[in-house]
Amino acid sequence: MIFQDTIKLAPQEKGATDITDLISGIIKGSKITMGTCQLFVHNSQSTLLINDTADENTKQQTVDFLAQLAPSSDSVSNTINKSMDAIPEAMRDAVQQTTVSFPIKRGRPLLGTWQGIYLWERTSQPQKRSLTITIIGE
Amino acid sequence: MLHQQKLRFSTTGRGTYNITKQIAEAIEKSGIKFGVCHIFVQHTSASLILCENADKTVREDLDDYMARLVKDGDSKYKHNDEGPDDMAAHIRTVLTQSSLSIPLHKGKCDLGVWQGIFLWEHRTAAHKRNVALTVMGE
Repeated sequence: MIFQDTIKLAPQEKGATDITDLISGIIKGSKITMGTCQLFVHNSQSTLLINDTADENTKQQTVDFLAQLAPSSDSVSNTINKSMDAIPEAMRDAVQQTTVSFPIKRGRPLLGTWQGIYLWERTSQPQKRSLTITIIGE
Repeated sequence: MLHQQKLRFSTTGRGTYNITKQIAEAIEKSGIKFGVCHIFVQHTSASLILCENADKTVREDLDDYMARLVKDGDSKYKHNDEGPDDMAAHIRTVLTQSSLSIPLHKGKCDLGVWQGIFLWEHRTAAHKRNVALTVMGE
């Protein structure tokens, strides 16, 4: 069985937003109880990550580290560098993921105790985002 | 056909562990010959990589590279309840993979000659790690 849908997300604040409950709800509705789930984000200014849910600091530190690794164009003020906006975003894409996939068991994401699914919004002017969810299984 | 099972690995601390053989054995038992094998690590301080399997210094160099890129005990980290390697382990996980999808051909992972599947332990202490395997095909 295959279930596929498009998820529309309202603009989120810059940073990582936990979307685990939202995704779990869609999986439950799909009636597929065993298989895999793939999420795909339709733009290059937000990405997906699986990260620790236990401590709020963890996701912020992760986002900070990744931002440092490929500095955002947000802080670039002069016009010459602004023309290079695409470069830090492309660098982040290289180290980040537009898809995540995880197993499904008994109709729920088979995640570890401390794992959560996050959408990482990278711009300070958040926009509506759309994701494709594809669930394959039985 | 769908097969799902959990594999458990004991690590002795930071480093890479070749799990290709255990994955291959589980696939063989599933009886599925063609399709996709999905491997997912249920932790946020250990990850999965496909890497060269012939020369172990490749993985030693990778570990050294990662240690330079993501510093243990960075004074900027707020999440350090479990020691200097705590936050670094979460970042190292995000920079690598929580899941791998590998094609299945004639009952075997269709890997290149020099490709191996490795579990990468990012914590310095020994841990037990859960890996969920989902095999889909016929």
